[in-house]
Amino acid sequence: MTIHTSLTGPFPRSEPLVAATRDLDRGRTSAEAVEARFVEAEREVVALERRLGLDAVTGGYLRWADLFRPFAEGWRGFTVGPVTRWFETNTFYRQPILHAPPERVAPVVRAALPPSSVVEPSRAKVVLPGPFTFAGLLDNRSGETREALTHRFGRLLAEEVRDLHAAGYTTIQFQEPLLVVAPPTGPLAEAAVAAYKSIGAAADGARTMVWTYFGDGAAVEPLLHRLAVGGIGVDLAETEVDRVHAPPDHRALGLGCLDPRTTLSEDPAEVARVVREIVHRVHPREVWLGPGGPLDLLPAEPAARKLHVLPAAKQLLDGPGAAG
Amino acid sequence: MSGPLFPAQEIGSLAKPRWQLLGQRGEPLDLAADEEFRIWNERLGFADVTSPEVRALLEGRSRELGAAGVRDLGALFALRYFERAGLARVYDGEARRIEMYEYPIRQMRGFRFYGHVRSFDNKYYRKAACVDEVGLEHPYHTEEFDFVKSHAQAIPKLPITGPYTLADWSYNEHYLGRQAGWKGRDARRRAQREFVVEIARKAVRPTLQALIERGCRVIQVDEPAAGTHPDEADLVAEGFNAATEGLDATFSMHVCFSDYASLLPALLEAKRVDQWAWEFANRDSEGRDGYEVLKLFREYGDTRQVGLGVVDVHRDEVESPELVADRIRRAAKILGDPSRIWVNPDCGLRTRRLEVAWQKLGSVVEGARLARADFERAG
Repeated sequence: MTIHTSLTGPFPRSEPLVAATRDLDRGRTSAEAVEARFVEAEREVVALERRLGLDAVTGGYLRWADLFRPFAEGWRGFTVGPVTRWFETNTFYRQPILHAPPERVAPVVRAALPPSSVVEPSRAKVVLPGPFTFAGLLDNRSGETREALTHRFGRLLAEEVRDLHAAGYTTIQFQEPLLVVAPPTGPLAEAAVAAYKSIGAAADGARTMVWTYFGDGAAVEPLLHRLAVGGIGVDLAETEVDRVHAPPDHRALGLGCLDPRTTLSEDPAEVARVVREIVHRVHPREVWLGPGGPLDLLPAEPAARKLHVLPAAKQLLDGPGAAG
Repeated sequence: MSGPLFPAQEIGSLAKPRWQLLGQRGEPLDLAADEEFRIWNERLGFADVTSPEVRALLEGRSRELGAAGVRDLGALFALRYFERAGLARVYDGEARRIEMYEYPIRQMRGFRFYGHVRSFDNKYYRKAACVDEVGLEHPYHTEEFDFVKSHAQAIPKLPITGPYTLADWSYNEHYLGRQAGWKGRDARRRAQREFVVEIARKAVRPTLQALIERGCRVIQVDEPAAGTHPDEADLVAEGFNAATEGLDATFSMHVCFSDYASLLPALLEAKRVDQWAWEFANRDSEGRDGYEVLKLFREYGDTRQVGLGVVDVHRDEVESPELVADRIRRAAKILGDPSRIWVNPDCGLRTRRLEVAWQKLGSVVEGARLARADFERAG
């Protein structure tokens, strides 16, 4: 069994970047100065990810206003809507409003990623909205059913996957909190399966993963295990440890072992103990450890402190008496 | 409730006038601020323009008055604004406050601010981590209340952030860290319960006691976080009880923009709540369906007062007094007892310009009068 570590979503903006972006909004600095600050901050996140030996790097997704914005601004059919609460957190996103069936006129993801000089594509993890969550959280005025929309987003995101793969990106994760917060049944569940069938067909050897958080992954496991992706991640702050199972067909198991809801750092030994317990029980071939949800629910300092837990726990798991 | 039916109140903050914002920064008033000051002073008579302090403000020497002096004037303005609008209970519109979380937390022990969290886009807020036992450096809002009490011509009240919201808007390191083993859902909930009750007992309660000792008899506990986690409504109630049990005051709980049905009946376990101050108008349509949720009070046998939101605070369009009266009548019919109703905007009118807020409060008061007349005619 192999154990990998990585971020699973956005990292918080550093205090200098917070100050710069605030200044930009208040007209106290230039867009060029803020861009320089973004590049600097991305390099800092990448340096941290490398220093900690994480197996994929992200640059922290510092530029993304929210999970959906590049698509709401780059695909046809959308306007960017009102500030809306992001699940049960005190953070918000601007709800995309879909006025017509969405169309992908050009690739949008690559342009929203850090330049390859900062994050090398072959080492990068690309984090995208999952089709089910995307279709479920927007304001749908398009006339399409949610089922049709979920399926359509699967096809559109599959196009992005093809484009990313062609550009050398090989690790792509889909954020699907809604799958576990409001689990679908019936035709909607089938639409989610169909959406990932499109994505799976486009992956062509790229490593794909669905990451769930803010809800109990175990309760939806049968559905999650039907999704045509290379791995399934669950949030261990919400999912009971003894109810986690490995996806079938030797696919990867993602374990969200850092809780972004608290600044309290996890104990690496406790993380290792819990992971070992799961591994001994379900025998996954590959495990990815990461934050259970977006670490940008925290300020930068405690988020960085938490991230240090990943290599420490991995070391314990790789050491004498290692798991699996 | 004795006295006339449908007394009016405000349940949130008021926009700060431009002259206050400029004056607090020590900047001279511009034409708009000067005009704003004079127009409102003509209406409300909140300031003596011949006094040296007010002259300093109006003559571009606000530094002489100091930020505290300008805030006093802002508080007086809001008091008179509410009084002249015809409200039965008044306060200073939170003229001295800029937010409702960081200030109370900074009066407590056991918290640490690490940095900023992104709210959305390029907007950020500061969220403290509880890193040690909660304690209280000194009770807060006491000077604010002293000022209100000494100047109010109507019954003074004081809004204060509730223990659940203070806990929910903080990171819980200390109490979660005391939980043994994996910090899963159950451990997090136990830790959150302990945290809420500790804030309630060790910080909010002594503050409430200090306020009551100074003569504060009407206290509004704001719990905006209550709607964020419906499955923790019992913790909201438990925190409220821990903060207020045995205290001699009239308490209301303000919870805004929530799916109230999801909070009940757990929230009703907040024993010392005398009045539930909720929003209704923003979800109301011609059928008055925004008030259907009041049926839950009957369903659960809760007979406490209701602070009825009758105007929407997120729209400039001013509701007519007739619409307000219609909403009150509808609510009274559902509750089956008009004497339980107070009327107010859905939440603080801070989101609206002072002129719009004034008109909306006018509609609240006039709508209440129309509804009252109807009920009196009906005997």
